[in-house]
Amino acid sequence: MAPRLTPVLEWLQERLGTREQFTRFLYRRLPVGTTWWHTLGSAALFLILLQTLTGYFLAFYYVPSPEHAYDSLTYIQQEIPFGRFVRGLHYWGASFTIVVVFLHLLRVFAMGAYKYPREMSWVVGVVLFLIVMLFGFTGYLLPWDQKAYWATVVGTHIAGTAPLVGDYLWRILQGGVEVGARTLGRFYAAHVLILPAVLYSLVLIHLSMVIYQGIGPTPRGGLARVRKEDYARLYEESKGGGETFLEHLVRDAVVALLLLLALAWVAAMWSVPMEEVADPTDTQYVPRPEWYFYFLFELLWQFPGKWIPVATFWIPLAAVLLLLLLPFYDRTSGRSPLKRPVASTSAALALAAIALLTYQGATAPAPPREGGAVTQEKKALPPALAKGAAVYEAQGCSACHVLRGTGSAAGPDLTRVGARRDEAWLKGFIKDPAAVRPDSLMPPYGDLSQDELEALAKYLAALK
Amino acid sequence: MASETTDRPKVAPAPPSLTPGRRRFVAVVFGAVGAAVAGLVGVPLAGFFALPALRRSERRWLEVGPITDFAEGRISKVLAKPLVAQVWPHETRQVALYVQNQGAGKFTLYHIHCTHVGCPVRWSAPAGRFFSPCHGGVFDKDGRVLAGPPPRPLDRHEHKIENGVLYAGRIFKVNDKLEFAGWHHA
Repeated sequence: MAPRLTPVLEWLQERLGTREQFTRFLYRRLPVGTTWWHTLGSAALFLILLQTLTGYFLAFYYVPSPEHAYDSLTYIQQEIPFGRFVRGLHYWGASFTIVVVFLHLLRVFAMGAYKYPREMSWVVGVVLFLIVMLFGFTGYLLPWDQKAYWATVVGTHIAGTAPLVGDYLWRILQGGVEVGARTLGRFYAAHVLILPAVLYSLVLIHLSMVIYQGIGPTPRGGLARVRKEDYARLYEESKGGGETFLEHLVRDAVVALLLLLALAWVAAMWSVPMEEVADPTDTQYVPRPEWYFYFLFELLWQFPGKWIPVATFWIPLAAVLLLLLLPFYDRTSGRSPLKRPVASTSAALALAAIALLTYQGATAPAPPREGGAVTQEKKALPPALAKGAAVYEAQGCSACHVLRGTGSAAGPDLTRVGARRDEAWLKGFIKDPAAVRPDSLMPPYGDLSQDELEALAKYLAALK
Repeated sequence: MASETTDRPKVAPAPPSLTPGRRRFVAVVFGAVGAAVAGLVGVPLAGFFALPALRRSERRWLEVGPITDFAEGRISKVLAKPLVAQVWPHETRQVALYVQNQGAGKFTLYHIHCTHVGCPVRWSAPAGRFFSPCHGGVFDKDGRVLAGPPPRPLDRHEHKIENGVLYAGRIFKVNDKLEFAGWHHA
């Protein structure tokens, strides 16, 4: 300690007891086997602080109104020095935060750290995870571009499918009967005032719990399976050979630096994607959510008609409750993932399902734009097939079928349908699908002229 | 634990406490302050936040255009203009809707949002169908569900014709028989 500082520190020590507090905080012993995986919580906090900082500065220039939001962001990106970079940090930082918070949750789950005596840390942590998702949901309306507008139309519509209170929830979220100026105001206030206040209050509670109980140890050796009665003794023992918190902070600092470098690189290399300004009258737009909501968007395929609330309400509700209440129904003594096969297997299955849905969302083919791929291809076809291609395009077959990566995947992919079906079969099927296969979901196309039907079947049969 | 010696005595001393009278007094004061804050601040704030959201559309009628603009048997997309300008935002936004002229002075006006999760449906005249770009929803020219997950036919706008001009009003839902089934957001 620099001698010049000593009198100041002494002065503070006399009044605040600073030295004891810092010593206790920094030199407390951690259990043996505190690993790099244990840095994910502090990494999440680092990213949240960074989001807050970049958010403060974006708020100097951003204007939350439908007339100005888009222009003010264009202004930030094009006219303000470092604007593109600062907005990039905030935009890509959001995805980084969601990934790191989720990994932190997985780490805690894998190490059984939600068990006695850290049940409440887990509960608060799950709420923090949900709040981070809400930050994403409220944040991506703010640019007021097409993606922002339509993703919010879909998002609020989904909230509206909740039983009983759905319609109220929908209107309260929108601030009215449609997504507009009041929606933007609400989402802005939530994003920059209300959610941060709630988030930081809970972060402080979460941290005070970690400090009070100590960090959850790696469940190895004697700690792989711990009965409640033995916990305090085993945990104290494991601290015998452990390092201090100050030493662990070195790992935290390294991880924070690496994350910042990665984020700065991404923000410098890729500009934030910005679409056209929001146009509620555009009927050609194809809404897609941010990647971290793909799982929900894709899950909707599985639950048509009156089953919609299963995907939009009951499954999410069940998932949240299962997560929140985990420490209260999983009361087994196993802490190592290998000692609790049921929990590990269910979690692996849930993860696989989320990963699959996210992958499907990321690779979902886009419906064709007018004058798109089929039109281009049609010109290169012999006249006999071009007519069928024209019928395919005019009838909007791509609304349900994918052809060479374009279309919507509601029905079978038709890229190689000719290899599976011949012309006669196709003709009969298109005319009245239910007559050929009673379980078919395809609507009948009996209103096609004989000419059109033959041309279409010929075209499809040639797709091999 | 019993065999271990600990600093803390096993039976904690009785916590400091108030006499019943003082306790009641404290409870009454807390209750009064709490009720005053909830009433004078909470009620106005709750109304400030929620009531604008629960109002029906501020612009009851939108001007769609002269009925002669819509050919019989056709469906066309129209940008309708609200009749009453709002205080804010100043630019009164246009509202897109589909107008179907069924002939004999009968019109049907469709809301552009799919009834599944609200994606914008496109009308394809050659196919004679509405298509949603999100989850494969398909509607016929009368808005009935032909395929995909939408739970009900396309929503419609109420309408009126005055002096040969078509006006669109509130949005309502219809059932599978295309009968009125309640106002949207009512």
